[in-house]
Amino acid sequence: MKRTFVGYRWELVIAIMVILAGVWATTLSPYYFNVEQLLFSSRNLVFTGIMALGLTLIILTGEMDLSLPSILAVCTVLLAKASQASLPLPLALAGITVVALLLGAFNGLLVAKLRLPALAVTLGTMGAYRGLAFIIGSEVGYTGFNDTYKWLGSATVGASPVPVMLLVFIGAVFVFWVVMHFTTFGRRCYAIGNNASAVTYSGISVVRTKIGAYMVGALTAALGAWIFIGQFGSARGDNANSVILGVITSVVLGGVDINGGRGKVPGVVLSILFLWTLRNGMGLANIPGPIEQLIIGTLLVTGVLVSNFTGRGSFGSRPLKRASTGPLAP
Amino acid sequence: MIGSSSSVLARRISTTLSRNTLRLRVFSVLLSLVALTAVFTLTTTNFLTLENLKVIAFNASLLTVVACAESLVVITRNLDVSVGSIIGLAGFIAAKFASANPHAGPLIIVVAVGIGLVLGLVNGMAVAYGRVPSIVATLGTLSIFRGITYVAGRGIEVPSGNLPRWMIHGADATVLGVPLVVLFALLIVLVLAFLSRSVPILRRVYAVGSNPGAAVFYGLRANRVVLFAFAVCGALVGLAAFLYISRVGTITVNLGRDWEMMALAAVVLGGVSTTGGSGSILGVLFGALILSTIDNGLVLARAPEFWRMFIQGLAIVGAIALDAGIERRIKAIFRHQRY
Repeated sequence: MKRTFVGYRWELVIAIMVILAGVWATTLSPYYFNVEQLLFSSRNLVFTGIMALGLTLIILTGEMDLSLPSILAVCTVLLAKASQASLPLPLALAGITVVALLLGAFNGLLVAKLRLPALAVTLGTMGAYRGLAFIIGSEVGYTGFNDTYKWLGSATVGASPVPVMLLVFIGAVFVFWVVMHFTTFGRRCYAIGNNASAVTYSGISVVRTKIGAYMVGALTAALGAWIFIGQFGSARGDNANSVILGVITSVVLGGVDINGGRGKVPGVVLSILFLWTLRNGMGLANIPGPIEQLIIGTLLVTGVLVSNFTGRGSFGSRPLKRASTGPLAP
Repeated sequence: MIGSSSSVLARRISTTLSRNTLRLRVFSVLLSLVALTAVFTLTTTNFLTLENLKVIAFNASLLTVVACAESLVVITRNLDVSVGSIIGLAGFIAAKFASANPHAGPLIIVVAVGIGLVLGLVNGMAVAYGRVPSIVATLGTLSIFRGITYVAGRGIEVPSGNLPRWMIHGADATVLGVPLVVLFALLIVLVLAFLSRSVPILRRVYAVGSNPGAAVFYGLRANRVVLFAFAVCGALVGLAAFLYISRVGTITVNLGRDWEMMALAAVVLGGVSTTGGSGSILGVLFGALILSTIDNGLVLARAPEFWRMFIQGLAIVGAIALDAGIERRIKAIFRHQRY
C-alpha cells in the first residue's frame, strides 16, 4: 500500500485538500452538496481545465505558453464566422484545428527553433493572437450560433443532468494521462524538462518535441473554444480574456515543476477539482470574487510553502546548486 | 566568459568587448525606437511634434518606473507578476490616507513606498527563503494583494478631488515645458541605471541572476540578494503608485490591473534576458518608450484598436528575436576570441 503511493505525496495532499474543501463548502452553503448542483457547476471547470492539461505538457518541457486563451479566442471567432456562413460543423472544426495547430507551431518554432525565451515570446503572441481574434471578429460579439455548433457545450447526456462537456473533460484527462505517462512523446517531454542537452545527445530532436507540445497545447485551446461557444453562446475577441493566471495556478498547484520535468496528470486534475470546489462553494455562499481570489492565492502560496518545509521538497524550485545547471540550451 | 588561465591582454579585450556588447544591445533597442519614429513620422502628419512627443513621454513615464523595478527582479532570474496588484494596494491605501489626512504632505509618498516595500519583502521572503518558484509565489500574491485592496476598499472609490491640491498640481506641473512626472521618472531611471553599474549590491543582483550556483560558491548570499531585488522592486512600484494616483481621475480598487503584463513587455523589449543576469536599465527605458510610441503612433495613423494589439504583440516578438540574434552574434565573437 505504502509503496503504491511513493511519488504521489503531493497528489495525496491535494486529494485531502479537495475533500476538506468539499466539507467546508457543504458547511458554507446548504445548496452545495447536491448532485445536480455539482454536475451543473462542473461546467465551469471544463474549458480552463482542458487548457490546463495542454499547458501541463508545455510546462513539462520547461517552457511556458501564455497565449493559449488568445488561441481560444481566435478559434471562437472563427467558429462564429463559420456559423454565420452556415458551414457544416465538421468543416469548421477542421478549420479551427488547422489554425490552432499553426498558431501553436508558430509559438513552438520561435521558442524551440529560434531558442527565444518562452515567457517573453508567448507574452508577445498573447497580444498578437488576441489582436488577430479582434481583427477577424471585429469588436461586435456574435451570438447567433447554429444549435449543432452549440451542442457540445450545452447538451446533457440524455435526460440526466450530466453535461456532455464533462465527459469530454474526463476523456481529455484520460488521453493526457496516456500520452504523458505511456507514450514516447510524453516521456520525451519529461526528459527534455529534466535535461534538454542529454536528450539532444541521445539523438532525439528537442525542437520537434517542443513544437509538438506547443501544438498539442493549442489543440486543447481549440477544443476549449468549441466548448466555450456552446457554454456561453457567444464569440468575441475578448473571450477567455483573463483566465491564463488561473490556468497556470491549477497547473502549478497540481505539483508540476514550473522549470519542467516533474508533475503528473492526477495532480493537475486534483488541483482543478480543488479550485473548482472552492470557487463553487464560495460562490454559493455569496463570498465576493475578490475574497475568493484572496483565499485561493493564500492557499497556493501556503500550500507550496508547507510542502517545502515539511517534506523533502517534493514541490517547488530546485535548490540553488541544481538551478545553476538549469536552462542550458543545447 | 574567459577562463582564469587567459592572459591579461585577452581579459582586456574581453572587457572592452563586453562593454561594447552592452552598448550594442541597448543600441538595438534604440534602433527599433528610431525606426518606429521614422515610420510614424512618414505615415502620419503630426507625430513628430513637440506636443505629441510630450504625450508619449508622459504616457511612458509611469510604465518606465514600474518596468525598471520589474527588471531588477527579472535580472535575478525571477519574475514578479504581482506588480499590478502592488500598484493597486499601495496606490489605493495611499489615496485613502491622503483623503483622510489632507495635510499629510510628503508622508503620503512614504505610505505608498512603504506599502510597496512591505509587499515586495513578502514576495521576496516567499521566493528567497520559502523556495517557492517566483512565478508561483507572485501569482499567489497577485490575487492576495488585489483581494486585500478590495477588502480595504469596501466598494468605495476615492475621487481625485479628495486628494491634496499639491498632488494634483504636481501631476499637471511642467518645468520648462516638460511635465514634472516625466522628469521625476527620468531621474529615478537615470539614478538606478547609474547605481546598477557602480553599487556592489546591484552588481550582485546581476551576478546571482547570471549564475546562482557560482554566486553562492563565490560567497554571495544569494537569498539576501534576491530578497533585496524584490524589496526594491516593491518600493519603486509603490513610488509609481503614488505618481499614478496623482494622475488618474478616480482611484478605484482596480488600479493598476494588468500592469504586470505591460511591465514585462517593456522589460523584454528593453533587452533584459528572462533567463537572468543581463540587461540594462536604460534598455528598459527605451522598451517602455517603444511601447508608448507604438500605442501613440498607431492611434495617430488611425489604425483600428485591434491592429494595435496585433502589431504590438508582433513587435514584442520581433524585438526579442532581434535581441537574441544580436546576443548569438556576440557569443560567436567570443568563441572566436577564445581559440
